[in-house]
Amino acid sequence: MASGFPSLGRDVVNRAVATQAGTGQTDSVAPPPSGLAQTNPSPVIDVEHVSLSYKMDKADFPVLVDVSVTAYRNEFLMITGPSGCGKSTLLRIIAGLTKPTGGEVKFLGTPITEPRTDIAMIFQNFVLLPWKTSIDNVMFGLSSRQDLSEDRKKEIAENALEQVGLEGFEHVYPGELSGGMKQRVGIARALALEPKVLLMDEPFSSLDDLTAERLRKEIYSLLINPESPIQTVIMISHNVEEIVELADRAVVLSARPGRVVADLPIDLPRPRSRKAEEFQDWVDKLYSFLA
Amino acid sequence: MIVALIFSIMFSLAVGIAAARNRRAEAIIIPLLDVLQSIPILGFFPFVILGIADVIPGPAGTDLAVIFLIFTSMSWNICFGVYEAVKSIPQDYIDLSFMSNTGTLQRVVSLYIPASLSRIAYNTQISWAVGLFYLISSEVITTATSGTLPVRGIGVDIFTYGIQHDSTAYYSCLGLLVVAVVIWQFIFLREFSLWAEKYRFGDVPQGGHKDWLMRRYSWISERSLSKLFLIRPGKGVTAFTSSLSRYRRGLKYALLILFLVFLAFLVATEANLMRTSHHSFNLSAVLSAAPADEAFILVGLAYSFVRIWYVYFICVLVALPVGILIALHEKAYNTLIPVIETIASVPSTALLPALVPFTMIAGSYAGELTAAMVIFLGMVWYILFNVMAGIRTLPGDLFELKRSLKVTAAQAWRNIYLPAVATAFVTGSITAVGAAWNTLIVAEFFGSKGQAPLTQVGQGIGKIIVIATDGCLTNGQPNALYAANPTLCGMITANNGAGDGLVLTLAVLSMTVLVVAFNLIVWRRVYHFVTKRYAYNR
Repeated sequence: MASGFPSLGRDVVNRAVATQAGTGQTDSVAPPPSGLAQTNPSPVIDVEHVSLSYKMDKADFPVLVDVSVTAYRNEFLMITGPSGCGKSTLLRIIAGLTKPTGGEVKFLGTPITEPRTDIAMIFQNFVLLPWKTSIDNVMFGLSSRQDLSEDRKKEIAENALEQVGLEGFEHVYPGELSGGMKQRVGIARALALEPKVLLMDEPFSSLDDLTAERLRKEIYSLLINPESPIQTVIMISHNVEEIVELADRAVVLSARPGRVVADLPIDLPRPRSRKAEEFQDWVDKLYSFLA
Repeated sequence: MIVALIFSIMFSLAVGIAAARNRRAEAIIIPLLDVLQSIPILGFFPFVILGIADVIPGPAGTDLAVIFLIFTSMSWNICFGVYEAVKSIPQDYIDLSFMSNTGTLQRVVSLYIPASLSRIAYNTQISWAVGLFYLISSEVITTATSGTLPVRGIGVDIFTYGIQHDSTAYYSCLGLLVVAVVIWQFIFLREFSLWAEKYRFGDVPQGGHKDWLMRRYSWISERSLSKLFLIRPGKGVTAFTSSLSRYRRGLKYALLILFLVFLAFLVATEANLMRTSHHSFNLSAVLSAAPADEAFILVGLAYSFVRIWYVYFICVLVALPVGILIALHEKAYNTLIPVIETIASVPSTALLPALVPFTMIAGSYAGELTAAMVIFLGMVWYILFNVMAGIRTLPGDLFELKRSLKVTAAQAWRNIYLPAVATAFVTGSITAVGAAWNTLIVAEFFGSKGQAPLTQVGQGIGKIIVIATDGCLTNGQPNALYAANPTLCGMITANNGAGDGLVLTLAVLSMTVLVVAFNLIVWRRVYHFVTKRYAYNR
């Protein structure tokens, strides 16, 4: 298996053996398993007892209640749950866009209070600026890098677009791009900043099945790439098959207010095939938590 | 006002439905309405007054003229609304009504009218404000030109007290106007539009993703006067920019020209009514108008044109950044909106007398300053409200993107906010400039017939129009007005004494041609370009 996201799956399996995760226990902050000094997985994102409620008409309207999740290095974490359970809100708290009313989130030990450029976000609705070309949109993503020259930014942007397969489409406007291509620009923009954490909010749900499937495979191979600086991916999804296909670990939230209901390492070996029986077993298992 | 409104609605329903359902009617009516909408209405008002006053003398006549004018100003907007609404009825409903074997009248009642209701209600709010503006202005002009007062009217009172420098009376009238506007808005218009909402097809569009939070404030932001100014610039502009076959477009232009010529004849005939002397009006007289006549009209036109544009420039400098800033901050927006709306709902021409004492400090430029301020106050709201709406309709995740990429404020303005409001800004500008032309006619020259004006500018087409209507002579002798403007009056009265129909015709005609031509040549292109490049469609 290639390095980069080197031991994708292996750490998780070991953890599953060492702890009792996978049986639906709510203790989702799995301690690093003992006896595995070499591949001691280090936490990248620590969500610690996060709660969020809105004040509405003198009453508190809870959205998330005491959510604790840890995302480890070289791990593809999926967060899922029924509609309205607060998944998007949780992701935005991790991104630093929303402040929790209780608890905190840490990135490599430091609390997240505002957005950081090493934590990048990919949106469900792409959010490209319609008046900028693809390459300008990616360069816009580099706005925070004042230290770079325009030429250097252009170079980085061109590389990023090439990586997502949009070479030749640099000077096309979003209005002229298909949904899949727009999302690729979104991905390129996120990758251009060389983030350590990638957050994705249902990135494929606005696309048709074929395009979504293709993008899933492409983004996975991008992350597997040894040169990728990305250490952790946290993604939100509704699509159970997508979760089983991509995730190392799936965290399930309950309906509003959102609490962690399950933290399941998915120990299927890669590459994963939808036709395999174990795959279907996992799908059924996840459904049972979501229903 | 109410009379005019009722007539407007009835007229609009008839015309709008006809236009929406009948393709041939549509081809003629829509371009016609577009032209009518862009013609500065106040320019034609003198003719209307004099024409009607000849037929129905006395106060009743002037009242009728005022009503007609307000009707004119209100109708086009509502008409377009009906047209839009009927056109967008899902075909299924239309098929259903045909299948049910209903007669035409029944269909109108059961389908078309309910379908148009929400649009009518929405546009009524706008039209009401527009009508109010014209009410004030027309009452002002009526008093000024014919010397006959309409029976009752707050515009009349404002004008009279303003002229007489009766401050207390004037300010109390003004205050009354504001209060009346606000109360009327909340009691009638709001209820009307709420009631009409239930007739909407499909989802009633609500605020943004924060809807449940905004519900507390929704009575401010949703049913608010700001809707008054969120006018789409005559569906006519978009109608013109829609892609049509060459033939169709040629037809539109041909119709336009035909219409202008017809208008010219109409205007000339009306002017004829004004003539007391033996001077008979014919086409050759118009055509062979001495170069001297033309020249000063064009000069006046040029001055007015420049005037509008420098005031526009100031409006943009103020309204664009302020609008964006306010719209970006929820709290500021919610607290300021009611205030801004109240100020905006007062027709700027009503404020003219109030401004005069203050602008005296500018000495010889006082008239110019007053005119500029009145025009500014007439224009700025359109730009302001449209820009604010442009920001508020941006999707929330755009702001999330901005924050997650750590974009600085300067970068955000350049890359996000300014491009994002581009279409709304152009829309607002088109309407603003249209409003400016109308405001100009009152702002450039404000005074009673036969007397020295309260305020006037050096040169301007509005001034020419008003003076040409008034005439500078009383009983054949030069009056105070003449004394205030000897050169201009000299040129105007060269042909006859009481008022110069020829000059008036030429002045109004040239202004109309300029406005319509500008709309076609400039605005249409700009609008097309901006919507193509900058429109935010997800």
